[in-house]
Amino acid sequence: MIFSTSNIKKNFTTGEVSEEILKGIDLTLAEGEITALVGSSGSGKSTLLTIAAGLQTPSSGEIHFDGQDLGALSPEKTRQIRAESFGFVFQSSHLVPFLTAEEQLLLMLETAGSPLSTKQQRQEVEKILDEVGMGHRKSAYPASMSGGEKQRIAIARAIVHQPKILFADEPTASLDSTKSREVMELLQKLTKTLNIATLMVTHEEDLLTYADRVLTMKDGRLA
Amino acid sequence: MNLAWKEMKKSKTKFVILGSIVFLISLLTFIISGLANGLSQDNAALIKNLPDGAIYMETAAEETHALSAIDMETQQAVLLEKDGAFAFSIQMGFLLNEQDEQQSVAFVTSTSSAEFPDVSKDEIILDRSLEEQGIKQGDTFTNSQFNGEFTVAGFSDGVKYSHAPVAFVHPNNYAEMYRTEDLQMLFVPEAAGLEAIAGLQSFSVDEFLNTLPSYSAEQLSLSMIVWFLVVISGMLFAIFFYMMNIQKFGLYGILKAIGVKTGALFRMIWVQMLVITAIALTLAIVLSQVFEILAPSGMPFYLPISTTLQLSAVFFAIGFAGATLSGFQIRKAQPLQAIQQGEG
Ligand SMILES: Nc1ncnc2c1ncn2[C@@H]1O[C@H](COP(=O)(O)OP(=O)(O)O)[C@@H](O)[C@H]1O
Ligand SMILES: [Mg+2]
Repeated sequence: MIFSTSNIKKNFTTGEVSEEILKGIDLTLAEGEITALVGSSGSGKSTLLTIAAGLQTPSSGEIHFDGQDLGALSPEKTRQIRAESFGFVFQSSHLVPFLTAEEQLLLMLETAGSPLSTKQQRQEVEKILDEVGMGHRKSAYPASMSGGEKQRIAIARAIVHQPKILFADEPTASLDSTKSREVMELLQKLTKTLNIATLMVTHEEDLLTYADRVLTMKDGRLA
Repeated sequence: MNLAWKEMKKSKTKFVILGSIVFLISLLTFIISGLANGLSQDNAALIKNLPDGAIYMETAAEETHALSAIDMETQQAVLLEKDGAFAFSIQMGFLLNEQDEQQSVAFVTSTSSAEFPDVSKDEIILDRSLEEQGIKQGDTFTNSQFNGEFTVAGFSDGVKYSHAPVAFVHPNNYAEMYRTEDLQMLFVPEAAGLEAIAGLQSFSVDEFLNTLPSYSAEQLSLSMIVWFLVVISGMLFAIFFYMMNIQKFGLYGILKAIGVKTGALFRMIWVQMLVITAIALTLAIVLSQVFEILAPSGMPFYLPISTTLQLSAVFFAIGFAGATLSGFQIRKAQPLQAIQQGEG
């Protein structure tokens, strides 16, 4: 298994009250598979995803990636792993407002420490943009893109550096159902062709047909 | 990737506005300090323009040069011994023109000197500002304490004392007007070697200026004005850079989430701050120097390029501090918060 967690717990303390949101989660992700995480709002899906992605630390438990325990690494080392091996797609596309579609991807390659030459990077970016159907929009800024276009660029940014794991937190939440299907088809295609282990949070039942595995979060545990 | 530059190119309006604010504030500071320096120059250019050295007056005069009288013997001895030394006196007074109109001046007389012009008997040399008021060479003036007539022999640049133009007169004329042969002060240039002289108290040029009550009080007000302005504009700078960066908190959080180094974000902030400040200050320096040239000659304005450079350095330092401060806030920015909120 490329990625797994063992017995992840997370407590949030607000004032005097401490609440255990995650009560011991064992999760595994496999390459070339979309793992869907469903559950009611507030059940702790995003908390689990961000802990898995190294964006916050668990109260206890371990996160295994590539033979290392993420929780035991320095912040700089986890940053490096995020940059090189993880990709992120969020509910909002969160693109950089002053960069063109092409530049968003070039920035990601640079951040990931890509060994490619500048020319090769441009070719790679062009290829990925074509793949997400945005080749004709490479000079567009986010402000001039539709919601669906932005999300396509966000997905392209998330995979341009060929990450091992893709974390997607409700990637279709801001899209209508046709656009949602297109984005899911794209995620499925990329997961297969690039052999990525994808963890996707969603609460849209009809998108689960795109998932290889479905996990349900309930009362802080996975079912 | 040069994020700093990319953003400035895309959000030109925002950065032009910020740059204009920096430009206007620094121009204001330059102009005000030019005026303050001008006033201070107007008050004491005669003394300020002396080279490094010491001014001696009688110890018994208790730091009031008008009460000082250096006896002939001491004067002769010092002038003989010290190269470039001279004795001089300053008294405020009036000149009356042929229409009996008063012109207030500072009468200055000295033994032969490289610093002050030599004047023949019954002639005066006036500050250039009086020429600009229409007084010409050959014009004649009288004075109530003087029986003869002064003829204007020429003009000298930048000789002001106590906000009045200086009138250089011959020692004999001065002696007649003020009924004393003794001169008030001695000036000895540093190069000639400075040592204690019995019965005399020595002052550096700056120390001497501080003995003038009007000068030191005015100087205090002027430097307060300039420093308040510098401090307040500096704080404005820092606040503007801070605001600009705090607005981008969400963006920095996202960039951190995808793995961009905090150092790269700091660099972005610094580059933007440096570029904006450099352009704005350059424009302000150029414009204030142009203003110095174009300023009406009657307006006391004095802004050496060194002063603008010093102020610029202060602004750079403060802008840098403001940018760095917001950088520290960004270090604290949690990627998580940014992801969970906001459209992008
Ligand atoms: N930083 C936090 N501090 C306190 N409580 C939090 C924090 N983050 C999440 N929670 C709480 O944890 C629970 C799960 O949140 P979340 O993981 O966002 O749920 P989901 O994504 O499944 O809707 C919610 O009750 C939320 O209020
Ligand atoms: Mg959520």
